[in-house]
Amino acid sequence: MISRVNYPIWSITSWLIALALMAPVAVMVFSGLTANSDTLTHLWQTVLPHYVVNTLLLALYVVVLVILFGVPTAAIVSLTNLKTRNVLRWALLLPLAMPAYVIAYLYTDLFDYAGPIQRQLRALFSWQSPNDYWFFDLRTLTGAAVMIALVLFPYVYMLVRTAFEHQDPQLIKAGKSLGLSDKQCFLRISLPLARPAIAVSASLVLMETLADFATVQYFAVNTLTTAVYDTWLEYGELSTANAIASLLMIMVLLSVAAEYRARAHQRHQLSASKEPLTMIILTPIQQIIGNIYCWLLVLAGFIFPFVLLLDMTIQYLDSTEFEQLIQAGMNSLKVSIYAATIASILALFLVLYRRLSGVKRSEVPLLLSGYGYAIPGTVLAMALLATFGPLDHWINDLAVWLNLSKPGLVLSGSLFAVIFALITRFSAIANGTITSGITKIPQSLDIAPESLGVGKLHTVLKVHLPLLKSSFIVAWLLVFVEAMKELPAVLVLRPFNFDTLSTQVYQMISDERLEQGAIGALFIVLFGLLPIIVLNKKEKIH
Amino acid sequence: MSDILTINQLSVSLQKNTILADINLSLTSGEILGLVGPSGCGKTTLLNTIAGFNQLNSGSIIIDKLCINNTNPVPAEKRNVGVIFQDYALFPHLTVWQNIAFGLSKETKEEQKLRIEKLLILLGLMPQAQKFPHQLSGGQQQRVAIARSLAVRPKILLLDEPFSNIDARLRNGLMIELRHLLKSLNISAIFVTHNKDEVFSFADKIALMHHGKIIQAGTPREVFDHPNCWQVADFLQIGSWLPVNVREKQVSTVLGDFTVEDLILNNGEHFVLLVKPQYISLIPGNANSVVKHISFTEHGYHYLLSSIDSSDPLAFEDLSFYSQSLLSLEQEVRLQLIPHSYQLFAHQTHSFST
Repeated sequence: MISRVNYPIWSITSWLIALALMAPVAVMVFSGLTANSDTLTHLWQTVLPHYVVNTLLLALYVVVLVILFGVPTAAIVSLTNLKTRNVLRWALLLPLAMPAYVIAYLYTDLFDYAGPIQRQLRALFSWQSPNDYWFFDLRTLTGAAVMIALVLFPYVYMLVRTAFEHQDPQLIKAGKSLGLSDKQCFLRISLPLARPAIAVSASLVLMETLADFATVQYFAVNTLTTAVYDTWLEYGELSTANAIASLLMIMVLLSVAAEYRARAHQRHQLSASKEPLTMIILTPIQQIIGNIYCWLLVLAGFIFPFVLLLDMTIQYLDSTEFEQLIQAGMNSLKVSIYAATIASILALFLVLYRRLSGVKRSEVPLLLSGYGYAIPGTVLAMALLATFGPLDHWINDLAVWLNLSKPGLVLSGSLFAVIFALITRFSAIANGTITSGITKIPQSLDIAPESLGVGKLHTVLKVHLPLLKSSFIVAWLLVFVEAMKELPAVLVLRPFNFDTLSTQVYQMISDERLEQGAIGALFIVLFGLLPIIVLNKKEKIH
Repeated sequence: MSDILTINQLSVSLQKNTILADINLSLTSGEILGLVGPSGCGKTTLLNTIAGFNQLNSGSIIIDKLCINNTNPVPAEKRNVGVIFQDYALFPHLTVWQNIAFGLSKETKEEQKLRIEKLLILLGLMPQAQKFPHQLSGGQQQRVAIARSLAVRPKILLLDEPFSNIDARLRNGLMIELRHLLKSLNISAIFVTHNKDEVFSFADKIALMHHGKIIQAGTPREVFDHPNCWQVADFLQIGSWLPVNVREKQVSTVLGDFTVEDLILNNGEHFVLLVKPQYISLIPGNANSVVKHISFTEHGYHYLLSSIDSSDPLAFEDLSFYSQSLLSLEQEVRLQLIPHSYQLFAHQTHSFST
């Protein structure tokens, strides 16, 4: 047994960090459960069941769609000799950079009654009114599901592709030696083996879908996230909002549990392949179909909206409100840099604690601090309001009692709440990145310096930190980008008159004038491309 | 007996490198062939080509009247060749029963059940039927892989390093067990190994490969007694090498001189003498060798000796020799060749530091 040094301060601080990050959610659930308002009863008797059904339907549609989009593309890119597969490998990740609400707006603009497509059709067939023809309505639950699926399917694509690529190629050979054709090998070996990866990625998508706010809001599809927001803003009922948020939280926890179960069965997936996979050779017709399928998704999920956005930016450059945008951009940078820096440092602290303390329970702070990722931004915002609001009151009461001037809403009404929310929500990303970095450092390096007469703390400074530098940078970048994109939490918690790029873009979308802020959306997308480039680079190095 | 497998002038290139050249081989029904050779000599490629995982460039493979060549490249799934992979390649998401049933989809449920039960009993896997591969020991996994292959009644069974993942202590027992099984079912098999002991205890016939060619094939006894070139003797570690000087029919070595009758000399060719440990004896007199390494084995002490005068052009190194008497390290002794049927091999240089 290797002797481990235990710094009590380190251990206590780790637990405190984790508890602090999770405390607001506990407070919210408690306040939600004890909510006893007429509004809740009223909501339950009127619209809430409908919202729950909408939420469940949206989740179901999105999950079905992302599997339909993600699994075949993953199979085509990793298992066949498709001509453009080397480009598609990364091109299929691009939609991740597009916020769903932005493509929702762009496509609505395009397919609306007043949009160019319908105008052209009317001109072409000389139709006079909407009664003369049928055209699909994008602003429905199904439309929202398609929009969300178009930008989230890369999660499924990415994880399932990795699963296919890591399958032992000998299993396919074994299948063939037992008389199975390519197609049978795929259906009976590759696909069942990728099932855990499909389940994990689908539950990730599920969490993201339950967290979506702006798309459904824009399409006027009422779900639990919009209900939380409306209850808080329209009725001013924090505890009712908390109750609905708690309900949503339960749904999220169920999908977290599902994900956990799926991961538990992933053990047999770990064999890294020694030899290249034998490719399924496609016939010319299959080549064409495969290319069309994959490229349509890239086109619809990224290229097309990106071009529309670019076009909008150029066309409306004159009427763009630059001053506002620059202010919002600076604000975005500010909160994102704070959040990324603090989250990465906390992750480093927790990961090192877990590694060096060596006791089993040291894992708990790391796990706890990661659960924030599953909490929808709207729910998290409610949790922080429920916690920081009363705290602010106490602080003010205390100030009065001490004969000091009232400090105001120092916690709930300032950037503190926004940054706290971003850290809680995206700590998991930093934790995961730095954990995967530290597992690449051999355990023997933890103790080798001791044999050279070097102390533990010095070891951390001289060995672990330098080796973790690149993981730290990647973690920082990933959190930075996610913080940049986060909308609902910032929307609820931001101080008065404070806008970030995402809240401003959302505002402009709500006002149906994205044209004037298209450049802001373009920036969000461009920042969103950063992690894709980083991920792609990392993959090439390995 | 009729041939179940015939390979004629087979050549295979992968990424423009010739991996196999002009391979000729045949296997009768129920025969077990051991394919040996150093790493990278093309053993696994030959196995993969027979199985259908590689394309052949020229020549033909005939598996029980099914002729496979350039114009008729039969896909792997149509060849009826069973393969046991080095890591067994069991399907991790299926139970033992489901693994064995995997290739049986063409038969009725009742036939499948009978067949699987028979194999489970034959291989002693009945208690494991409902377990998953990761719950089994290495030996059990291998038996599942064998049962899975046998289920589809293959014409030949190919085994890629079948014993490399098995505990050394259990290996011998498993080899004997598997040989009995294949013999009792009269199944022809080819197995690849780089362990010479496995060939000698498992195969009816061995084929030694070097640089993509089969350089010698025959029964283990034939090959062991009469290796046809130094690579064969060297790979099978039949004995040690003694540099010699040949003049007419007179051969001189550090350990003594002798004459040979039927040696054909080519200009500039060097020769080395293959010395099996049993043809060396320890005698009193002027020392000519020094003990460089001692180990204890089940056959007594095993010594590696070098000649005392290392500047001698005929100086030798690492001469292998067994004795019941204990010598000490750096002890100088006199060794002598015991007269026998001498085996001389042509070789470019004297050194064998492989």
